[in-house]
Amino acid sequence: MSDAEEPPVGNGSAAEDGRGLYVESPIIMTTVRVITPFVFTLGLFVMFHGADSSGGGFQGGVIVGTVVLMLGIAFGIETTRDWVGPQLAVGLVGLGVLAFLLTGVGSVLLGGGFLEYEVYPVPHAVKYGIEFVELAIGLVVSGIVTGLFFVIAAGMSDDGSDFA
Amino acid sequence: MTGALEVGLVVFVLACAVATALLRDVLGSIIAFGAYSLGIAVIWVFLRAPDVGLTEAAVGAGIMTVLFLLTIAKTVRPADDEVLESVDPRALAVSVALVAVLSTTLVALPAVGDGGSAVASDNVTEYYLANAYEETEVKNAVTAVLAAYRGFDTLGEAVVVYSAGIGLLVVLDREVLG
Repeated sequence: MSDAEEPPVGNGSAAEDGRGLYVESPIIMTTVRVITPFVFTLGLFVMFHGADSSGGGFQGGVIVGTVVLMLGIAFGIETTRDWVGPQLAVGLVGLGVLAFLLTGVGSVLLGGGFLEYEVYPVPHAVKYGIEFVELAIGLVVSGIVTGLFFVIAAGMSDDGSDFA
Repeated sequence: MTGALEVGLVVFVLACAVATALLRDVLGSIIAFGAYSLGIAVIWVFLRAPDVGLTEAAVGAGIMTVLFLLTIAKTVRPADDEVLESVDPRALAVSVALVAVLSTTLVALPAVGDGGSAVASDNVTEYYLANAYEETEVKNAVTAVLAAYRGFDTLGEAVVVYSAGIGLLVVLDREVLG
């Protein structure tokens, strides 16, 4: 809408077409298409493997969130945003915090202390409890990363609201 | 922490930090900041803290750089050819004074790898190292402390991330789309 008001030298080279920084490049698209599943797997690996080596929910969550960032850079942020939908990221964040919280409250209800995994009637309850909590943290972090990426990127599209 | 590689890393990180503060072009600043984060991440690994190093590499060097780049996409680069920002002497004095005050705490830190320091010989540390595997069945004692012994703290951490993130999303969403 306010395409006429171009800054003299913008950092975004493709800003004039109203799609922000997006440059359609077959090289980036192909690369992202190939490495996306591997990066996603690495994120889950770091999340789960945090119990036995370095890593954990915070780090793995960031790496999983990176998958969406890569898709956004390769296929256009607005396109990816329309594809993922605005609710999913916020939903994941809420789900992660709730899962963590309910794990703690659940152990209290079963007669233990807060987050005392031993009271859950599963074999190796502590180990799987820790893994579950790491997964919940990963959900929170990846959801926040994705949501922030979309919201910050939305500011430079052609909404016109704060470009003038 | 005295090898040539470590000294080189510290010099690199300090140079990147100064460059981040002084460069006039914001894009250059962000790139220097990314390099700084990567250097710090490698230093963490040298200090035997791979968990922290992984976080710094993923968050500091990765996500923060992307978010910063998106943020400056709407800004304009300075027109003149000056490379460095002119330094305000008063601001410089305040920064140097702050660094000097913080540096006085350095002498209180134990030497790197000092086996007799409180960090290594404390009862709590010894308890975790001796019992973490039997009690939690995870091999990484850091994770055991994080998610089991100190799970309540970690819940607080997750809630901080949650509230900060949701707050930002609500404000920015209104700002951008509303």
